[in-house]
Amino acid sequence: MTPITRRTIIRSASAAAFAATVPSAFKARAGGSFRLGLTPVFLDNDVAVIDQLRDALSTAMGMAVELEQRRTYQEVTGLLLEGSVDAAWLCGYPYLQHKAALSLLAVPVWNGKPLYQSYLIAEKDDPAQSLENLNGGTHAFSDPDSNSGYLVTASDLVRKGLHPEGFFSRTIFTNGHRNVVRAVSDGLVRSGSVDGYVWEVLTSEEPKLTQRTKIVTKSEWLGFPPFCARTDRMGDDKIRALQKVLLELGQTGRGRAALQMLQLDGLIPATPSLFDGIALRLHDYKGT
Amino acid sequence: MMPSLQHISLAIRVPLLAAGLMVLLAVVAAELVLNTLDDLQDARIREIAKMHVEALSVALGPHVLRDDVWEVYDTLTRASLGTQGQRLVFTAVGNENGRVLAASDPVRAPVDSMIGELARGARSPQELSATGSSTSILLTAPLMYQGRNVGQVLTELDISDLISERMRIGRLLVLANGVATLGLALIGYWMMRRMLMPITRLARRMHETAGAPQPLPVSDLPNGNSELSRLINTYNEMAVAVQAKAETERRLAERERFVSLGRLSSSLAHEVNNPLGGMLNITDTLHKFADQPAVVRQSAELLSRGLAHLRDIVRATLDQNRLDRAGAALSLQDFDDLKLLISPEINLKHQYLDWQVSVEGSLMSGFSSGPMRQIILNLLLNASAAAGQIALKMEQQGPHLELSVVDNGPGLSDEARFRLMSAAPIAPGGGQGLRLVRDLVAELSGVIRTKKTAGRTRISVTLPIPVNDEVTQC
Repeated sequence: MTPITRRTIIRSASAAAFAATVPSAFKARAGGSFRLGLTPVFLDNDVAVIDQLRDALSTAMGMAVELEQRRTYQEVTGLLLEGSVDAAWLCGYPYLQHKAALSLLAVPVWNGKPLYQSYLIAEKDDPAQSLENLNGGTHAFSDPDSNSGYLVTASDLVRKGLHPEGFFSRTIFTNGHRNVVRAVSDGLVRSGSVDGYVWEVLTSEEPKLTQRTKIVTKSEWLGFPPFCARTDRMGDDKIRALQKVLLELGQTGRGRAALQMLQLDGLIPATPSLFDGIALRLHDYKGT
Repeated sequence: MMPSLQHISLAIRVPLLAAGLMVLLAVVAAELVLNTLDDLQDARIREIAKMHVEALSVALGPHVLRDDVWEVYDTLTRASLGTQGQRLVFTAVGNENGRVLAASDPVRAPVDSMIGELARGARSPQELSATGSSTSILLTAPLMYQGRNVGQVLTELDISDLISERMRIGRLLVLANGVATLGLALIGYWMMRRMLMPITRLARRMHETAGAPQPLPVSDLPNGNSELSRLINTYNEMAVAVQAKAETERRLAERERFVSLGRLSSSLAHEVNNPLGGMLNITDTLHKFADQPAVVRQSAELLSRGLAHLRDIVRATLDQNRLDRAGAALSLQDFDDLKLLISPEINLKHQYLDWQVSVEGSLMSGFSSGPMRQIILNLLLNASAAAGQIALKMEQQGPHLELSVVDNGPGLSDEARFRLMSAAPIAPGGGQGLRLVRDLVAELSGVIRTKKTAGRTRISVTLPIPVNDEVTQC
């Protein structure tokens, strides 16, 4: 038996103190937790929504689920690609950018379809009726890796032989769709490119924010932002478990509650062809 | 204004002055408090501005450096929702080129507009002042990050709370000062009035008893042994002394009438003695020649003339001193009496008297006999004491009666002149005649003049002739 010395006591106490300060993420991982990355695609400022989603996923998967948020799409995508997160709710645009390394787990269904639109919005009393009318004004994008918050408007301009930096007097990135609505609503910029799903949810949840904006144009229907995982990890139990939980989310009470808060119908399996529209725009945009 | 103030009673002026000084003190105190408050508010608003700019520099520096419009805007928006949200009305941030990067109110300061146009009238944190009536102030400052100037901050600060605080304190000050000053002024007025009450009574008493001061009643004397009580007591003692002096003077004047007569007594006795000797001889003659009717008749006639002369002398002497003659009118008989009274003195000293009385009896009747006889007799006695030749002249000079006594003596001594011409108190002892002349002439509203020329001394008395035959009372 090891004699109890002063040094032993100090060492034991230090170990206990260290254990008390270890971040919960490490402890969770050690116990078989799941890390899910979230792009700032939607209501990333709503703590209640995040908590509800985490709660539903943790309960269904039978393990701790950590939701990892980052400031930009690029950072979240990077976490997924390097394996810091097990899966991520990405946008169709970064999925397509890394299509070779990523696979689809599921895609949300909104208003009965796994599709959404990009809205070109402006201040409520702005006379603009089309993208062309917004020439020379300031414009807010959500994120350079966002489909609805950048690619749609940028590719529209490219198709017309133009480019955002020349078409608009100044473009800014707000790192969030809600921020785009704020920027337009407050008059910081004349127009903005925003996720149609986010704008509609905001209209019902925060009507004061969107009532000072109007939709100038809507894009065609495009594939809803999907849940993805690295292709080389698709066989992992945890990944398969997540996929199963996602597809069956509407079947549990907590899952339904989370979906209700997100105003989604549920999730369904997705095929790459769902994102052909985005791929076409990406092709046109990159073609320049 | 000032002359009229001087007519206000001391009992009102002093309390008013005290109240005025209190008001002045209150105004000065209020001004000092408000100035101090202004300084404190200025220091406070400068400190707020300094902290605001420093906080913005820390928070916005990297975003401004990267020209990140959204982050600048988002930071400003969040800052405006903070604890200082009520203070910060508006903030705009400009980049190095002087263009607006973002503002808390993008409509007021659009992105890329010139911040200089918005910053007109703005002041640096060190120059900020919360004084004035404006409820907001515009502040501009360079945005420093990592030791270099990366842009500019323009902020409008709401200072309405400071303005209203100052106005509230100002109103409270004015109200509190007003009430306190009014209260103190009233108390001060009451206390001053109370303290000065003995002075007021004394002044009223002196005014009411002008010329004949009378002591204040014991009930009006202030309590204790204060300056005022000593003052009043001193006044009372003086009043008593003045009364005693007046009584003494009155007695002296009364006695003076007898003094002049006393001076005549020896000559009068001589005047009486001569006829008496003659009449005793006549009675001897009557005894010897009682059987000779012619001698008896002649002796009886001589006796009759002698007794008549004695009667005249006795009557003149009596008249000179009879008190019941004080109200009788002056007449030529009085001059005859005077001549009769002074003649023995003149004759005894072998002096020469020139008697020129050329005034009508009707003019004399306006004067009282008593005082006029005293004046003339005393002037003649004064002249007789000093000279060998004396002249009395009395004539009308317009509305005045001019009486002059001239002698060829050495003139009036300083002491005699002082007694005749001055009303100042005289030392005890010495004659009262000339002072009596002075007092009587003053009572008759007359004027006395003296003149010395070529060995002659003239004392003139000019008296206004009373109208309506009114007899002057004295």
